[in-house]
Amino acid sequence: MSDVERLLRRALAPVDPPEQLVARVRSRLLAIRDEAAEELESWELAAMRDPRNWARPAIAVLAGAAAGAGLLVIGRQERSRALLRRVVRRR
Amino acid sequence: MQPDPGKALLDEQFSELYRSHLRDVYSYLYYRLGNHHDAEDLTEQTFLQAYRHFERAQRESDGRPLRPWLIRIAHNLAANLHRDRSRRPQSVLEEDASLPTARSTEELVSGRDELARVLEGLGSLPDDRREALIMRFALGMDNREIARALGRSDGATKVLIHRAIRQLEGLVADGQEAPA
Repeated sequence: MSDVERLLRRALAPVDPPEQLVARVRSRLLAIRDEAAEELESWELAAMRDPRNWARPAIAVLAGAAAGAGLLVIGRQERSRALLRRVVRRR
Repeated sequence: MQPDPGKALLDEQFSELYRSHLRDVYSYLYYRLGNHHDAEDLTEQTFLQAYRHFERAQRESDGRPLRPWLIRIAHNLAANLHRDRSRRPQSVLEEDASLPTARSTEELVSGRDELARVLEGLGSLPDDRREALIMRFALGMDNREIARALGRSDGATKVLIHRAIRQLEGLVADGQEAPA
């Protein structure tokens, strides 16, 4: 490895993302879930009698459930990390 | 309605991708864009876009790691941002072409000149060479991963990185020889 490569490794150290970024991503995913739920609510029952209209609300439900499940996992991981940080600080 | 077990697994896999590569995406964008504000915005957009296309990406990845795909999304978003900004006038505060550093003050003082010269040289490299070096040295990506992220062949990427390092060595050497 050359000197320049060694210097590059030092100069370009990985950067930790700020804490608030995780909350921002979570809230955007929640928004996706809410949009999917609203779309489902606004769908008129009459339209549901036509089988050609069944696919769209089903996709909306799946998208909402997916965003919710993803958020649960991300939220749990964040809480675990926060707890670990508190324990490390106490030591 | 019963939850779809396939979808639940997919979400768990996306969460794992997010947890494993949040720092990679953020670091890449930070060094690429030069400030925390833009890096945060585009990191958020990268993961939202990734979430929308995750199922397809996984299907098409053939089991290969998805980090190059994520970095490619970030790379495209950063390129779009640069293109959009180049079309409108910027204020003096927004104009900052210098590359940032994540080192502590103490570390910077100890090797200040060398690191400053390297970062300055890096900032003056052509875009593709600079990006390849950021992927290699900030993210630790190998040639194959970088090739996938940049949409090039493995051979072309190897040559790109080799030339980038040689050019940077030349720039740093020129800086050392220049009178103070």
